[in-house]
Amino acid sequence: MDRKSHLTDFVKNEIMRNSNANLDPDADLLGAGILDSLGILQLVAFIEKAFNISVPDEDVIYDNFMSVNTLVNYLQQF
Amino acid sequence: MDDVIIIGGGPAGSTLGSYLSMAGIKNIIFESSIHPRPHVGESMVTSTTRIFKEIGFLEVMEREGFARKFGAAWHAPNGREFAIEFGEFPQPGIDQEYTYHVDRSKLDLLLLKHAEMLGTKVYQGIHVKQVLFDGSRATGVRVNLNGKEIDLEAKLVVDASGRNTLLGNQLKMKVKDPIFNQYAVHAWFEDLDRGSGRSADFIHIYFLEIERGWVWQIPITDEITSVGVVADRNVIREAQLDLEGYFNKYIVTNPGLAHAMRNARRINDFKTEGDYSYSLAKFVGDGFLCVGDAARFVDPIFSSGVSVALYSAKYAAERIRLALEQGDFSEAMLKPYEERLRGGVGVWYEFIRLYYKLLPLFTHFIQSKQHRIEVLRLLQGEVYDRKDVPVLDAMREYIRRVEQSDDHLLRESLTSIPID
Repeated sequence: MDRKSHLTDFVKNEIMRNSNANLDPDADLLGAGILDSLGILQLVAFIEKAFNISVPDEDVIYDNFMSVNTLVNYLQQF
Repeated sequence: MDDVIIIGGGPAGSTLGSYLSMAGIKNIIFESSIHPRPHVGESMVTSTTRIFKEIGFLEVMEREGFARKFGAAWHAPNGREFAIEFGEFPQPGIDQEYTYHVDRSKLDLLLLKHAEMLGTKVYQGIHVKQVLFDGSRATGVRVNLNGKEIDLEAKLVVDASGRNTLLGNQLKMKVKDPIFNQYAVHAWFEDLDRGSGRSADFIHIYFLEIERGWVWQIPITDEITSVGVVADRNVIREAQLDLEGYFNKYIVTNPGLAHAMRNARRINDFKTEGDYSYSLAKFVGDGFLCVGDAARFVDPIFSSGVSVALYSAKYAAERIRLALEQGDFSEAMLKPYEERLRGGVGVWYEFIRLYYKLLPLFTHFIQSKQHRIEVLRLLQGEVYDRKDVPVLDAMREYIRRVEQSDDHLLRESLTSIPID
């Protein structure tokens, strides 16, 4: 499974807690209230575990975490 | 004349009595109430096991069937939950993966009886009016016995009077914490749904969406669960509700808690605890020491209270033994005890402060590969004799970066607590 599917599944199952949810990869997770502060850090921990990528603290910003797609783009550097 | 007079027969006083008696030091405890008596502070951390073992009390804990606490779980306001288990971080000198939840009236009675069994003279229902001084040196206590005042002398006086802080008040050396003024409303319930599976008998902490607001859920017996709502004192002032109204208002704001409480029946009166955190300006002086809550009290979020009482008793006993050997009861002689206790409780306090400063950070650190074990080390009470605590430095550094970055996603979660 690629990162995008992994991330989408994680957000649906663990953050939205609804595996049948429809999640547009461009949806604004923060604006829509899907991701709150705890959720963001949960996602950071997931990325660390699943992809073995340690997200620098200063990269936890809106531009990177806005949507599944922005996150995938951001993670390409690792 | 007794060597040591201990004011108060709570966990700090009884544990100190036990250590002193084991060392052959004559000591006497004056307890103002008659045990059993109710007390809040029903959950503990695993490091207490070490002390119970040393004073031969662990077998009593086991025999009496106190609820075993294998871990802790936290619940966010949106229903998400995460947990830790103590088995993941083994501690030297401790060979069980759990600590206990306790009915304090029962624990405190058993501990007092244990001290008595070891040789401590125990007098209950005796109120100590004041500590007697000759100049700056404590020389004994004045007790009230059937309406008559009697003065008793000792080489050392130990204040273990708990949150009454007898000496702190008498010497006007109680310093209120500038940040934490928390207030708890709590009671016992039956038919609370603790769920099933491994985490059913953990302590459960539910976050509330008010600053520094949270709720504890602590199993006392198979049937009885203690629940307490904690928040800044202003929150209850502003709510202007009766205790029950206040309690119920916040219980329903966390979905996990609302679910657990849906059929719960309260079985005793609501009780309150206020004026939460403080420290005495000094814990020792010529001829006296203060232990447990009588020395310092920090916010109860991490169940640290009983362990602080027990470790302060252990460290005080070590120093008292030396003082008696050398016949030196000066403040300078006793000071190393204060420094050791201050160091340990200081770590708890710093951890608590950083925790409240940026709540999501704690959950982040506990889920991170890099920091998890170090957070467990703290949560399990390994706070003493540590020169530095890198995980707290890392938390502070993270907070600094969030504060400095205009677009960091956690900026909104920062609270107003000062951390420098």
